[in-house]
Amino acid sequence: MSVPSSRDADARFWQALGEGHLEMPRCAGCGTWHFPAVTRCGECGAWEQQWQQVPARGTIFSWTRSWHGFGGSESIDLPYVSVVVELEEAGGLRLMGLLDGAGADTAVAIGAPVVGQVGSVSYGDRDVATIKWRLAA
Amino acid sequence: MNRNLYGTTAVAGVGLRQFKRGQAPYSERAALVHAIVDACAEAGLDPSDVDGFVTYGDDKNEPVRLAPELGTKELCWSMAVMGGGGGGIAAAFGSAAAAILTGQASAVVVFRALVQGDSGRLSTAVMAHHLNDYMIGAGIVAPAQVCAIRAQRMFEHHGVPASTAEEFLKACYYHGSRNPDAIAYGTAFDHDAYLASRKIAEPFRLFDCSRENDGAGAVLLVSAEKARDLKKPPVYLLGVTQGAQKGWGDLLENDDADVYASAGFNGVARRLWEQTDLTPADIDCAQIYENFSAQGVSSLVDHGFCTFESAAEFVRYENLIAPSGKLPINTHGGNTAQGFIHGINIAVESVRQLRGESANPVPGAKTCLLAGGPGSPTVSSAIFGTSAMVG
Repeated sequence: MSVPSSRDADARFWQALGEGHLEMPRCAGCGTWHFPAVTRCGECGAWEQQWQQVPARGTIFSWTRSWHGFGGSESIDLPYVSVVVELEEAGGLRLMGLLDGAGADTAVAIGAPVVGQVGSVSYGDRDVATIKWRLAA
Repeated sequence: MNRNLYGTTAVAGVGLRQFKRGQAPYSERAALVHAIVDACAEAGLDPSDVDGFVTYGDDKNEPVRLAPELGTKELCWSMAVMGGGGGGIAAAFGSAAAAILTGQASAVVVFRALVQGDSGRLSTAVMAHHLNDYMIGAGIVAPAQVCAIRAQRMFEHHGVPASTAEEFLKACYYHGSRNPDAIAYGTAFDHDAYLASRKIAEPFRLFDCSRENDGAGAVLLVSAEKARDLKKPPVYLLGVTQGAQKGWGDLLENDDADVYASAGFNGVARRLWEQTDLTPADIDCAQIYENFSAQGVSSLVDHGFCTFESAAEFVRYENLIAPSGKLPINTHGGNTAQGFIHGINIAVESVRQLRGESANPVPGAKTCLLAGGPGSPTVSSAIFGTSAMVG
């Protein structure tokens, strides 16, 4: 597996989470939103990306509720719900995250609106930053 | 039709050594050497004359290290398919054929070996290839979860009934129950037991997930001309494609919305039909890599046997079983009911079925589709055929 490095195209993503907010990358040349983050825009060839702060707000694109204790997920109480969220204000880019507080009986549905805030998950001896989502009221 | 590839190479021998997980009586390399020697024995080819090897799925057995045990006279082709895990299985045949057809090698073994004591759990190895902090932060750390989240979208958004996954499994278990070499030999599929099996990652229960075996498989590919001089009836490679179409890939869940819930074969399947001038209607049986039940279903959709809309009608047990189903699948039992050595088993069954050696024969079958590991960032498919398909 790969651990983030400051040289990676997505370094700003992790820095921004560390600062407590969400930033997503957009091509400075043609405006295409890219995720995974890229060094070069495959659409127009531009080498510059602009990181834009976006609200952690969107809808559930898909989800799974894990009941089995997979190696590497020990710090998360079972069962837990993982979501793919389509961001509202980032050209439809999607982000993975946890649906915070969702348990065995929480009704989860594709299309449900969610809001998130920066959190973290323990993995081995590291804390991995992530967005923790909640079903919007 | 790609006449350079269609029917110009053929499988001359197969070997498969399979054991329960963690119970192989010998090392991974020994299992592999046995499987290769078995494949050569079928063909009547001396193992020392194998001059090429292709593997996939991050197999760790470097061909040059097999040479002292095979007596390899000259190693001419030593390749691994990049990425894709089991998605690379058919692509391995493309590499082997490329070597043979360009004169870079003459007898090429496609192989995969997996003995837990040597390589650890397959699921862990596969995840080591893919895992990143985005996934860890979402608690997505295993192949079952990666595939579950796609399956959920296929069921919930595209409206494919979850019952199709069970129908797929039921067909695998039916074939496995009748195959003495299958882990499910003598075991009937039980609907209540399926529903009672514990939840793993919704929508998957335990029975929706393949379980790996120890062992090794080897498939010997040679030129069509050479195959006709060997012992077994040739099973011809008619076509093979690999890759990913724009909008699908290693994209942190940002695959195009219309293919997100697919198995990733859109471009691979389209090119396969174009390359062979065949259509789904020309396929007599199929070995469909089912890492998870729902991905077996989406593979059938991707290859054009049905659509999301018609899946409920097509993916029915009676359509999927030998001898008389419309498209018998996984006629040895598949990954779930025959055994799972990272999918090499389904390549072996493709060959045995077309030779008439399957435990569940499809009478008169002339073509067999091999669909590699679904849902991988890169996938691959191949079509094999009998001499009736080659003029």
